Amino acid sequence: MSRKLALAVLAAFSTAALAEINIGVSVSATGPAASLGIPEKNTIALLPTTIGGQKVNYIVLDDATDPTAATKNIKKLISENKVDVVIGSTTTPNSLAMMDIAVDNETPLISMAGSAIVVEPMDTKRQWVFKTAQNDAHMATAIVQHMTDKNVQSVAFIGFADAYGEGWYKEFAKIAEARKLKVVASERYQRNDTSVTGQILKIIAAKPDAVLVGGAGTPAVLPQKALKEKGYKGLIYQTHGVANNDFLRVGAKDVEGAFLPVGPMVVAAQLPADNPVRNSALEYVNKYEAANGKGSVSSFGGHAWDAGVLLGAAIPQALKKARPGTVEFRRALREALEGVKNVPGAHGIFNMSTSDHQGFDQRARVMVTIQNNTWKLIK
Amino acid sequence: MDLQIFLLLGQDGVTNGAIYALLALALVLIFAVTRIIFIPQGEFVAYGALTLASLQAGKIPGTVWLLLALGLVVIVLDGVQMLREGRYGKLPSLLIFNLGWPLLCAAVLFALPPGDLPLALQVLLSLLLVVPMGPMVYRVAYQPLAGASVLVLLIVSVAVHVAMIGLGLLFFGAEGSRTPAFTEVSFELAGAPLQGQTLLVVAASAALIAGLYFFFERTLYGKALRATAMNRTGARLMGIAPTLAGKLCFTLAAAIGVFSGILIAPITTIYYDSGFLIGLKGFVGAIIGGLASYPVAALGALLVGLLESYSSFWASAYKEVIVFTMIIPVLLWRSLTTRHVEEEEE
Amino acid sequence: MMRHLPLIVFVALLGAGPLLLPEFTVTLLNYIGLYAIVAVGLVLLTGVGGLTSFGQAAFVGLGAYTTAWLTTVYGVSPWLTLLIGIALTAAVALCLGFITLRMGGHYLPLGTIAWGISLYFLFGNVEFLGGHTGITGIPTVSLFGWELKSAREFYYLIWLVVLLAMLSVRNLLDSRVGRSIRALKGGAVMAEAMGVNTPQAKIVIFLIAAVLAAISGWLYAHLQRFVNPTPFSINQGIEYLFMAVIGGVGHVWGAVLGAGLITVLKQWLQDFLPQLLGQSGNFEIIVFGIAMVLILQRARDGLWPVILRRLPLRSAGGPRQLVAAEPLPRRARPAPGSVLLDASEVTKRFGGLVANNRMSLSVKAGEVMALIGPNGAGKSTMFNCVSAVNPATEGKIAFLGESTVDLVSRDIARRGMSRTFQHVKLLGQMSVLENVAIGAHLRGRQGTLAAALRLDRGEEARLLAEAAQQIERVGLKEQMFEPAGSLALGQQRIVEIARALASDPCLLLLDEPAAGLRYLEKQALADLLRKLRSEGMGILLVEHDMEFVMGLADRIVVMEFGEKIAEGTPAEIQSNPRVLEAYLGGVESAA
Repeated sequence: MSRKLALAVLAAFSTAALAEINIGVSVSATGPAASLGIPEKNTIALLPTTIGGQKVNYIVLDDATDPTAATKNIKKLISENKVDVVIGSTTTPNSLAMMDIAVDNETPLISMAGSAIVVEPMDTKRQWVFKTAQNDAHMATAIVQHMTDKNVQSVAFIGFADAYGEGWYKEFAKIAEARKLKVVASERYQRNDTSVTGQILKIIAAKPDAVLVGGAGTPAVLPQKALKEKGYKGLIYQTHGVANNDFLRVGAKDVEGAFLPVGPMVVAAQLPADNPVRNSALEYVNKYEAANGKGSVSSFGGHAWDAGVLLGAAIPQALKKARPGTVEFRRALREALEGVKNVPGAHGIFNMSTSDHQGFDQRARVMVTIQNNTWKLIK
Repeated sequence: MDLQIFLLLGQDGVTNGAIYALLALALVLIFAVTRIIFIPQGEFVAYGALTLASLQAGKIPGTVWLLLALGLVVIVLDGVQMLREGRYGKLPSLLIFNLGWPLLCAAVLFALPPGDLPLALQVLLSLLLVVPMGPMVYRVAYQPLAGASVLVLLIVSVAVHVAMIGLGLLFFGAEGSRTPAFTEVSFELAGAPLQGQTLLVVAASAALIAGLYFFFERTLYGKALRATAMNRTGARLMGIAPTLAGKLCFTLAAAIGVFSGILIAPITTIYYDSGFLIGLKGFVGAIIGGLASYPVAALGALLVGLLESYSSFWASAYKEVIVFTMIIPVLLWRSLTTRHVEEEEE
Repeated sequence: MMRHLPLIVFVALLGAGPLLLPEFTVTLLNYIGLYAIVAVGLVLLTGVGGLTSFGQAAFVGLGAYTTAWLTTVYGVSPWLTLLIGIALTAAVALCLGFITLRMGGHYLPLGTIAWGISLYFLFGNVEFLGGHTGITGIPTVSLFGWELKSAREFYYLIWLVVLLAMLSVRNLLDSRVGRSIRALKGGAVMAEAMGVNTPQAKIVIFLIAAVLAAISGWLYAHLQRFVNPTPFSINQGIEYLFMAVIGGVGHVWGAVLGAGLITVLKQWLQDFLPQLLGQSGNFEIIVFGIAMVLILQRARDGLWPVILRRLPLRSAGGPRQLVAAEPLPRRARPAPGSVLLDASEVTKRFGGLVANNRMSLSVKAGEVMALIGPNGAGKSTMFNCVSAVNPATEGKIAFLGESTVDLVSRDIARRGMSRTFQHVKLLGQMSVLENVAIGAHLRGRQGTLAAALRLDRGEEARLLAEAAQQIERVGLKEQMFEPAGSLALGQQRIVEIARALASDPCLLLLDEPAAGLRYLEKQALADLLRKLRSEGMGILLVEHDMEFVMGLADRIVVMEFGEKIAEGTPAEIQSNPRVLEAYLGGVESAA
């Protein structure tokens, strides 16, 4: 008993002396967003264990794609694990649910979700929230640009009946309207629906020049396959959510020729040598594939990596001002995150500011097409 | 909507409906014999399809480990009881079915590269791997609860479903799989293209339904199951052991599930958690059949498939709202027109 | 005082909790409380009422979304939105209940799945409710200027609601309305015959469960300060049911236990499994599922009954003592000799089978009319026609001069007819006293709200006193507080008579009351019936014991193959050749 006590005291002392940094992570490793959350979870294992000379602990929890569980997780991370910063979560609703608790406890939150509403409009709350994934609007602009370049006049949308599909449709429709693109149909389907025939027939009946599929991972194959089967000849666009190898495996020849915007890491090896993102992207790809096997990398894991990149840049700054485990440290970390400039990550170059907590510019996206069952950079 | 679209939607609805119908039959069968509402029925669909996909990708499917583990649990549970009761004669068959069989399957998998086998053998191997789990699940999860209320059995079903979903994620990952089509043939019907695979689904479902009919009407085991379904106590008095009937119908249900999974894997993508929604729609059909009538259950399932197909055309965002709202009047009508025993349980 | 001790200890522990426990434990307790509120509703609805619902999560969503939308968009006070949410949920539940509660058997659970899924997808597709993404920035709740911002502060509000929900449901179940609710599962036909409006009782518990869910939703929204459709999906609906069943779906405390167990177990698995099995997989839900199967295999009625059995205290199963009370008023008696019941040409068909063919009989006040005949002659069918438990296909039945063709059995009960059943219909878990008190249902008028708030105690005492008096009258005083199911079958038949008498009838229908009684008991029964007759009651009796019938009846009707073959005084019947033939021919079966 006394030995145990002594050990505990020792442990308490050593933590205090070394002032370890605790980073809480909540990802959707199960539930509907599992295909996004699992690579994120795998990536956390690759993040540095010391930053600025301090030991870093990662406490990883699964929120099962459920906002209630996500809130529970962040409350636990803050009150039990005394974390200095939280990375999470995978989806937009979960990130929104975690936001209030992060703010109440003055703890920075780095989300990996797609929708811009996580960090915009900037207000007193969102001061504490940062986001590593490109905004949907950012990606949608690239698609609309590509469409107008290809002289597309009318377009149809088919997306998930969830926050992902909804977020994409809103952003896409807004930008398309501004660029005089006519959205002639908007359909929804469930992630694990066995058939989308009805939606596809309706889309084909509207005769669009192009179709955008707003889905993530392998479930995005089904609409494109159905379009091909029903003889659709126009252009087909996908979102960056599909950029993993499973999509190519399941899609096979059905997804040939699709266009999509992605973070540069997906085609890192094809980037010109002078591309500023190339090296940082390759570093992540190589590390991930070394740990999880060739071809296993997905664009979502990159967002978790970028959260690590941001912290790697900000924590040393914060350490100069305060000790980890204190509210002063968290405030300093928030400020340091806001001050991150020109830091290359897997998906782009971060330039944060008081009004922009996402920090990417157009270098964070490239258009690719699927050719011979691989991602091919469009120069 | 022109005629061609109408026909295509109908074709789509019938294809999905055929699968729902198969599951509805399995659910009715299990409920009639054991009073279990078998929510994990859908998991057998996913396991079957994903096991086949793993084999085709040349991988060892995780289901083989589950089969071995379940077999061992069954051996421990039953073996201890047999030893205690001194029924040594039954031990060999217990060992063969629950240990020998899974080991044989595992040996085959490791000895042969599964990716190079012909399609028919891969299908057979998937069936051999997943179907035995049906009676094993019955033995491990449900047999100790014989005689419990429908509600308790239902909750156990939910728990089994949760565990099987978790295992599915572990075995197959979060991303889906699709298997190559059994046939690439394509026809034309009234100007609308008709995929051979679609036709195969409907034909195979119909054949299976006919086969089940034959099984129940003509074979000894089938008749025994029917007898148990009609009167559990009576069947026991006639020497039909309830556990045997339970295992038998779980085997059948698992086989139907795996078969359905293998049938639809080429026309859609199957995920580790696909089973629940497919099973739920089969369940809707089964309920419309009052969990008692096979033909009405099959028709109900077909109705669900068609409703789904047409509503996904009209208002895809509201598809589930439409399907499930339309189900309510059907249920009401069925409930008011069929006599049911009110006070069956205390 | 001793009876309330566990509750007092529980409240004391609850009150001290936030002062002693770490922050996250309080957070967990908050969620447990939220789930428990819904699960308490399910105990009432599913455990007691026998109506399985998968759709409770949708009601939680209604409560949550109402307040989320009104407080964020219109800045309405959360307290007002609570009322609006409750009203809205009640209105929706009333509509849904009106449709789905008519469904019997397995149609009802699927019906709840159907609207549960529909509502969930509606939340996700309605633009102004934030779609699938959800609504952020829901304000906190303030109580007299005290802002409940932290988990510790909110804790008290949540658990206050839990306690109130538990107490009011427990109060409700221990009341006149409560007995009728407890009769829904397995005793609906009997309850209707005792005058209980069972469809109304079903709606009532459905509404209560829905409103509790909506309150939980309101709390959820202000605790979470964010809503999106995910927590209101069918999966969560199943999870609520899960909690109630694991805890013990027949017990209010089981709801709290189940909610606690599942929440804590999930948390615990999340903490310990990665240490045990590594970070690579997600074993939590696998282990969780297996654990649930094992628990149910060990304790199929849930964990609360297991705990109860281990406790030295006796479970509080209804009242154990009687309070002196003023007797209930009695109805005006029809004059002796006036016709109470007049049935003529009654025909009952089941499909092609004619069970009763043009049967006629009448009963006067102050007489015992016996209906006899071989087994299968259609006597009980005739009873069911007369009491409208299973109405006649054709023919005229008048009770107290009024045609009963448009009446259901509870209307007839209200007019002063009461009955017993050939196959005893008692609620085995309930005490004899409570069973008999169901008979007095129509003699009380206090409703659900009064019962939940314990404003019904005066009337309740009078009802129980009446029940006790009838039990004494039939000679079962010793067994008054025993569970009815523990009595011998003959005694159970006598309890049925006491129950019928508790309704203060002017016409009593007794279906084989003497079966299973010993000689002395039969004599006591005969004496009782004679006394009732002398008080002016009319009695219609079906009985096989000829000695009993001949010694008691004033007039006898004999049935065979669904038809009347003879009518007259005992002496006339005993010498009627057709009756003798029928009985001699059917000696074996009539024995």
